[in-house]
Amino acid sequence: MPMSLDFSVLLRFTDALALGLWTTLKLTVLCVLLGTSLGFVIGLARAGRNAVLRIVATAFVEFFRGTPVLIQLFWIFFCLPLVLGMELSNFVSAAIALTLYMGAITSETFRSSLRAVGAEQMDACIALGLPRRTQILNVILPQAVLRAAPTLLSNCISLFKESALVSAVGMADLMFVGQNISNNTARPVEVLTAVALVYFVIAFPLTRLVTLIERRMLKKLSA
Amino acid sequence: MDYTLDIGAVTRNMGPLWEGLAITLQLTLAANAIGITAGFGLALLVLSRFALLRLPAMLFVEFFRCTPAIVQIVWFFYCVPMLFNVFLDPVVMGILALGLNLTAFNAEAYRASIQAVPREHLDAGIALGLSPAQRVLNIVLPQALRASVPVLLTNGIGTFQQSALVAIVGVADLMYQGKTLATQTYRPIETFTIVALFYLAISFPVSQFVGWMERRRGVVR
Repeated sequence: MPMSLDFSVLLRFTDALALGLWTTLKLTVLCVLLGTSLGFVIGLARAGRNAVLRIVATAFVEFFRGTPVLIQLFWIFFCLPLVLGMELSNFVSAAIALTLYMGAITSETFRSSLRAVGAEQMDACIALGLPRRTQILNVILPQAVLRAAPTLLSNCISLFKESALVSAVGMADLMFVGQNISNNTARPVEVLTAVALVYFVIAFPLTRLVTLIERRMLKKLSA
Repeated sequence: MDYTLDIGAVTRNMGPLWEGLAITLQLTLAANAIGITAGFGLALLVLSRFALLRLPAMLFVEFFRCTPAIVQIVWFFYCVPMLFNVFLDPVVMGILALGLNLTAFNAEAYRASIQAVPREHLDAGIALGLSPAQRVLNIVLPQALRASVPVLLTNGIGTFQQSALVAIVGVADLMYQGKTLATQTYRPIETFTIVALFYLAISFPVSQFVGWMERRRGVVR
């Protein structure tokens, strides 16, 4: 091995890394909340009867799922300010980009869970003479959200991982801080491995949770 | 907005974009070749009865699935030359990094479809006196491969999109050429939109094909 490893170099930078992680988490949580709400609305539009809404929503989703997140991010960072004619802060740009991405992926989740609720339920609502609002809010929504839960959680994990891309446009998240430290100390192996482990330590338990919820739900749905 | 669109600034300079697209496609196809073959082997290891084979394989899969792809790529480009003292062509490095990532994701797809092969088929294989290798090659592989095609294709498009990440470490792919052109022409809107459409024009037909295949099989109704 051409070099010796020295992980103690990390100790000097724990504060900076913690700050980067904090930015990553803030961005992830914010975009999970905004993006999931957006996704639900788009999901409804795609499952709805209005053809114009359906086409617009489908085009939106296909565009965001069909292009790399990196280019979406570049577009929002470099083009949106020109289009709007105003400056956007890094955090706002990153939040817009990741919210749109999250909206696109969660809308697919909602769409398939809305379908899974089944036409019989709608028929039953009509037979019972329930008003449209009650049909959607009290019958369809709870079941759709329940079925969507594990996939939504997976979507959140994806978003957490994709958030590392904001480092490419200069936002000081965990990845950006890590790369900076690695360049300044010339110790990429130690620093980048540590950064990867931090992401892993957060994402891995969440993926186990998804599996757990899926198993529980299979039992519940089959009972 | 005080920005007048000038698509011509980009269409006059399409040369580098086509070159970038060629690199992107090369990265995607080679990474898929690695992912589709090595993924199956890895899935067999993950399902192995021997913990010594199973645990490292599971760790490999989970590690790639639970860390950001950009971290993996940057790690690969900075750390592999230092740790192993190998200096490869950047495109080859990109292929290896993307290929390993895809291997982990495809292993999961294969694992699910291998587990879906009915137990009785293997029993029948044993009853017919087939060797373990014959059972894997002639009973498990064809069925698992067929069942996992839609997921493999979806993962394949995923890698096509992830391949844009190599632009960050300086590989001259489509994304990199787009970024350079946007800076040179001061035309970010036109350039990035056209580059995005390039990606869309390739992913969209493939994802539609996957959707069609799934509907035909009745996986999704």
